[in-house]
Amino acid sequence: MSAASSRVGQALQAAVSAGAGTYLADDTKREIRICAGTACHASGRVALRKAIDAALEERGLAGDVAVVETGCHGFCEEGPIVVVRPEGVFYPRLKPVDIPEVIETSVMGDGVVERLLYVDPATGRRVAHEREIPFYALQKRIVLGLNGKIDPYSLDDYLAHGGYSALAKVLSQGDPQNIIAEVENSGLRGRGGAGFPTGKKWRLCRQNLGEKHYVICNADEGDPGAFMDRSVLEGNPHSVIEGMIIAAYAIGGGNGPVEGYIYVRREYPFAVDRVRHALDRARERNLLGKDILGSGFDFDIRVNQGAGAFVCGESTALTASIEGQRGMPRGKHVRTVAHGLWGEPTNINNVETYANVPFIVKSGADVFASTGTATSKGTKIFSLTGKVVNGGLIEVPMGATLREVIFEIGGGMLPGREFKAVQLGGPSGGCLPAALLDEPIDFESLLAAGSMMGSGGMVVVDDSTCMVDFAKFFLKFTAEESCGKCVPCRVGTSRMLEILERISEGRASLQDLDLLESLADDVVEGSLCALGGSAPNPVLSLLRYFRDEIVSHVVEHNCPAKVCRPLIRYGVDAEACTGCAACIAVCPVHAVSGERKAVHSIDEDLCIKCDACRRACRFNAVSVETGVLAPA
Amino acid sequence: MAIDNGRNDGGNGHKGDQAKGSALFEVIQGIDFERRELVGKRQGSGDFDLVKDNGGKDRCYACTLCERTCPVDCIDIGYTASDPMLGSAIAAPEDAAPPVDMKLFDPIIAGIRSGSGLVEALHATQEAYGFLPRPALEGIADQMNLPLSRIYGVASFYGQFRLKPVGKHVIEVCLGTACHVRGAPLVVEAFSQELEIPVGGTTPDGLFTLQTVNCLGACALAPVVRLGTDETVGRLGPNEARRLVRRLRKQEVRA
Repeated sequence: MSAASSRVGQALQAAVSAGAGTYLADDTKREIRICAGTACHASGRVALRKAIDAALEERGLAGDVAVVETGCHGFCEEGPIVVVRPEGVFYPRLKPVDIPEVIETSVMGDGVVERLLYVDPATGRRVAHEREIPFYALQKRIVLGLNGKIDPYSLDDYLAHGGYSALAKVLSQGDPQNIIAEVENSGLRGRGGAGFPTGKKWRLCRQNLGEKHYVICNADEGDPGAFMDRSVLEGNPHSVIEGMIIAAYAIGGGNGPVEGYIYVRREYPFAVDRVRHALDRARERNLLGKDILGSGFDFDIRVNQGAGAFVCGESTALTASIEGQRGMPRGKHVRTVAHGLWGEPTNINNVETYANVPFIVKSGADVFASTGTATSKGTKIFSLTGKVVNGGLIEVPMGATLREVIFEIGGGMLPGREFKAVQLGGPSGGCLPAALLDEPIDFESLLAAGSMMGSGGMVVVDDSTCMVDFAKFFLKFTAEESCGKCVPCRVGTSRMLEILERISEGRASLQDLDLLESLADDVVEGSLCALGGSAPNPVLSLLRYFRDEIVSHVVEHNCPAKVCRPLIRYGVDAEACTGCAACIAVCPVHAVSGERKAVHSIDEDLCIKCDACRRACRFNAVSVETGVLAPA
Repeated sequence: MAIDNGRNDGGNGHKGDQAKGSALFEVIQGIDFERRELVGKRQGSGDFDLVKDNGGKDRCYACTLCERTCPVDCIDIGYTASDPMLGSAIAAPEDAAPPVDMKLFDPIIAGIRSGSGLVEALHATQEAYGFLPRPALEGIADQMNLPLSRIYGVASFYGQFRLKPVGKHVIEVCLGTACHVRGAPLVVEAFSQELEIPVGGTTPDGLFTLQTVNCLGACALAPVVRLGTDETVGRLGPNEARRLVRRLRKQEVRA
């Protein structure tokens, strides 16, 4: 063992022992874990924590049973989630009143509270343990492995689970080229959406000379409907930081100074707080800053918050934003690896990409590459949302099929509903119909199908979603978020939106569909950055897979999903109506009238089609008709 | 609106435009010197005109690109007195502007001196005041040695910065994809009707501000609404939205 490597090893040992005596989360100990992710927070984890503390105090267990607030468990649909170790009893949707019973049965004894357990919607069976729930059992968790197991505020927890050993390995080897080769061999590709080979990016960045190199973590997860990066940062911030330090060493080790930035959305206050906290702790233990682990390598990371601009997820817009400019992309004839932040060579990777790096270094490129398909290696995290039973955060091997993800892990559609489409890649991606459910998930096959991997948003929609309305939503989003630099994107997206609006109002003609298609091509061709280059994708996939539905809007003025307001009409089903007046009470415009216990009626002239009456009706007596109105 | 040297007749023709970033600046002043030089020469420079849309709105939304790329620095973008987006705090005469406690500004200056970027400085300002008051923006411009127009260009580019004070309760409705497919547009509409304000507006009593946000990342609880900075309400339909407003109003009456 060389002198350098023993020095680094000792330094890591010192960092670990500096935390001696602090409580470590441990699967084998008796402890209560509460998910402290954003979704579980919103569904009431603070009140739950108070109830747990009070109940433990009351029973004199406050010192004996540890309560650990972990990162996102992923099963957000069932929040707030509590897991009782060591058995791993899983309690979803817990309320403070249930706590004493849970503590007396599962913490003080070895039993389970049957009535509070998770019910598998497929079998109707109650499942006691986390590992047996289909949602978890079918996943392969590499990046999310420690999410839900460790306290994100505890560096010691991360160290106890082998954290920073990959960094120590890299620093003691002292060969940056070797790390790049390892990452290249692993086949890791950028998880932000485009899938550029990570190792190659690092090599290019290293080759470009500058006064300084920058290593940036892109956590500006602007994709509506995606929260993978947020959950990783919230649940295991150190894994991202470790990945960044390794990247910095690969790029800047023996090659000049390097500086790091994490560009994170401000809409994610927990993630910002946990990352800042983690950076401070890492600095205290000499894992970050000057002379990291005694290796002589200097690197520090600053946190920069976004300010609500989707386009800032684009690399050149992101650097402009850090520089304090309007976040407008530039042409990329010169890549950011050559001319990025402040004009210096800059490496920008996504959160998930960095979080994969420690695993690759620790386990080796071959182990990483053994998962996945020929061109896409490893696993991918998706945020599965929309009209599925089990929404949440999932990690599956590349090459898993959409059907496995949506129907086996996701538990399929809500009762009585039929699968219609799955939207991948957010506003830049496309919708895939049921016929493509057996498509494997990897970069190439999704692209060929007219969608894209994107950062991992996966929104499932059923027959109650109108595809025209859905495409309108995405286009409205990109039209608003277009920075305005390239005319085809700024004007083109607005014009396309107008056409879609005409379609949804029943005022379009079939020629409009051709116009839409040719406009889409122009926008793709004429935009500098990926926002414009991919903005028409939702529309193109709509035209490709759901043309029937558009034609039905145009020709028959029929919105099959009964969503497009100008094409629908509300009425009361006289046989079902009991005259309970619930709809009268909620109608904001007093369009519903009728005596108690007599059939109500809706005044079409007043009705604003807000759907309040249909939701309030308990007898399914409010009906929605379509295809009956003449267009305006 | 012609580019008219040195003339600032303030406030012609920009009224109540809600569109993002439009009609922000009134006067684009050419510098007399360069123009006189060029006029009469063969290539000429002529008068500039800002192109208007069909509706008569200026297409210019003051992205400041022309100011920055002009080879002879002849374009200077300034504030306009009648700008609806700037609001009274920015453009009104000093006596009408709400008082701004400049003590809150000291830590922001300290932050800038320790190397925080412009966007970070704006965040800190908004955190301190709840919005971006003009005196603070001027202070930042001073500290960072940048033109105020540049600060304004950045502040107006990002969706999260507010140039007007907000109400006591800020209601942010998530319009992410998952929320959209589960009916968030109906929720926005319900809030808007119940509060009688458009999205982005504040009620006259200063109690409520209604905003939309792209994604809060709590998609499993869609549709999601955030109240203020710390309370998030999930699975909220239009009827629940109306009830929520009524509940908050009642609280206010009691308090």
